[in-house]
Amino acid sequence: MIFGYNPEKIRKDFPMLAKPIVYFDNACMSLRPVQVIDKINEYYKEYTACVGRSSHRLALRVEEEVDKSRNEVKGLINAGHASEIIFTRNTTEGINLVANSLGFREGDEVVISDKEHNSNLIPWLKLRGKGIKLKIVKSNPDNTFNLENFRKSLNEKTKLVSVVFTSNIDGVTNPVKEIAKLAHKNNSLVLVDGAQAVPGMEVDAKELDVDFLAFSGHKMMGPTGTGVLYGKKHVLEQMDQFIVGGETVVDSTYESYSKEELPNRFEAGLQDYAGIIGLGEACRYLEKIGQSKVASHEIKINKIISESLLGNKKISVIGPKEAEKRSGIFSFNIEGMSHHDVAKILDNSRGVLIRSGAHCAHSWFNYHNLKGSARASFYLYNTEKEAEIFVDEIKKISSF
Amino acid sequence: MVLCLIALPIFAVLSIFSAKYRKLTLESLDCVFRTAAFRKCRSGLDDRVKASLTGKVMRVSPRTAGFIYNNYKILSWIILIIFVWSIYGTSVGLYNYAKYGSCNGPEDTGFCMFDPAGTNTKTSEIDAYQQSEIILPALEENDPTMGNKNAKLTIIEFGCYACPYTNKAEPIVKEVLDYYKGKVNIQFKTFYIPHHNLSFQTALAANCAQEQGSYLEYHKIIFENQETLKFEDLSLLAGKLGMNTTKFDECMSTQKYKDEVQSDTLMGLHAGVRGTPTFFIGNNTLVGPRPFRTFKAFIDKEMKK
Repeated sequence: MIFGYNPEKIRKDFPMLAKPIVYFDNACMSLRPVQVIDKINEYYKEYTACVGRSSHRLALRVEEEVDKSRNEVKGLINAGHASEIIFTRNTTEGINLVANSLGFREGDEVVISDKEHNSNLIPWLKLRGKGIKLKIVKSNPDNTFNLENFRKSLNEKTKLVSVVFTSNIDGVTNPVKEIAKLAHKNNSLVLVDGAQAVPGMEVDAKELDVDFLAFSGHKMMGPTGTGVLYGKKHVLEQMDQFIVGGETVVDSTYESYSKEELPNRFEAGLQDYAGIIGLGEACRYLEKIGQSKVASHEIKINKIISESLLGNKKISVIGPKEAEKRSGIFSFNIEGMSHHDVAKILDNSRGVLIRSGAHCAHSWFNYHNLKGSARASFYLYNTEKEAEIFVDEIKKISSF
Repeated sequence: MVLCLIALPIFAVLSIFSAKYRKLTLESLDCVFRTAAFRKCRSGLDDRVKASLTGKVMRVSPRTAGFIYNNYKILSWIILIIFVWSIYGTSVGLYNYAKYGSCNGPEDTGFCMFDPAGTNTKTSEIDAYQQSEIILPALEENDPTMGNKNAKLTIIEFGCYACPYTNKAEPIVKEVLDYYKGKVNIQFKTFYIPHHNLSFQTALAANCAQEQGSYLEYHKIIFENQETLKFEDLSLLAGKLGMNTTKFDECMSTQKYKDEVQSDTLMGLHAGVRGTPTFFIGNNTLVGPRPFRTFKAFIDKEMKK
């Protein structure tokens, strides 16, 4: 029992949970509390307007709400300044922004782990066409991060280290603080893919000392199509713009233009104000519950499931055996069965919704000669009873 | 892979009414082509169906779900064979219905899903009668006929004046005679159905009317009054048609044509008649008030001979 934590009470905030489902696909997409839904509607019902263009009362109200959201995000990850928060569409866009704006030169090296989501692999593979070298750090046999391999991969040419914080393959959280320390010692910048980490654990950008942190709104109860790129102010100021146009410049002539201040210079065109305001509300909701409590709750659910199923010889889990090392993810395969079949059967039997496939990390699965896995992922509203239902159903399926 | 063969026609039909089935139809089509080329389906349609079915069954019986999951291929083949067999059966039924007005062919009067009320096949049946050898009925000079006596083709009808289905066939008989004016002749033979009220008496009455040269008119008027007919009406109707009622009543009271009625009925029984109306068109038998198109198909076939 986590003191003061009541998932049954939390569930009442989520209209989707009124359906007869066990929602275990949170690593892909979280559900939204009614507070976030209402906040989005509030923009459309009460103050629909543009920010930074018009100066009427509605525009000022939107500006105020967007600023509030930026400050909420800043508070959530303990950034140094609100201008370090750049709103994007998702984690992928944040990483692409860095890949295209950091000013890579031929011969520069980028280091990533062997467990990256395509969002943190493809942008760097694409840069290889411009003479950038990509280095992959092999993980330990239990899929945890190998700091020694990482240390060896660094050299004077390493411009950027870009690693996932919590893996969406198995839930393992990488030692980002140590990674950042080693990278900075090597004068390399650090970008962290925080898509799975920020929604379910305390992330302190200052303490971690990372240069960039990208994450998405849709995994943390925010609206789809919203994301954040945090960047240290002095690093962002050195960066070139990625997408340019409306709101990214202060002034322009037929010959030239002058850049806007941070963060606007990286937020081109009319933004998804409803989404940004909704994301701010999601941050408020998450902070109110407490990220550390969410993290403990996810591990608790994972423990119930892991302890009940890992003795089953037909079930193999991806990642370490210990549930506490896999946060809120239980990624597994059942011998002799397709992972897609497992997911579909669960859906049709008791409405247990999980994901199956390569989870956008095809490179890792291809390297390990696996077609994919079935992945159950938990969040703050999941209950022990749901974990028991999942266990029961998996036991039945594995007995086929 | 196997199930897409079944899914294709089903989804194709459903996609006419709903767009959501169009994608599934294309997936099934692709799967059918790949199956024909001995390759694995790309769409995973079979796998999805397998997993969905297994999941649904697991709610009720995990053991059965496991059986389905592990024997899915064999079960799919069984379902495919049943599907092909039922498609064949349905096609034959449709063909029979179009041609004979019944899924079961020209002679069988069993249930037909395309004619659930049995509109075209219902007959007044007698108890089962075992006949070792079928003797086709012969034309008889003395028996009355409708149409041209010298027509190329004569149809023999075994009917009962008290039978509603024989009555139902009357407009069709008329349509046949009108359509094949002069080319087709119909000889009506009375087939006595014991459990029908006035079946025997009406058969005698028709013969008594023939004696007075009023057979066709009397045949018509009995059917017109079939629903309300009482024994006393037989003489009244004869009078209405201008017949000598004294002679008619005497004919009736002496059962003058009893042997004739029994002879006709016996002829029918030897020919395999089990109910009325039954028509013999050449060597073909039609049982029940079949639609005109069925008569036409058989008559045209016989006329070509």
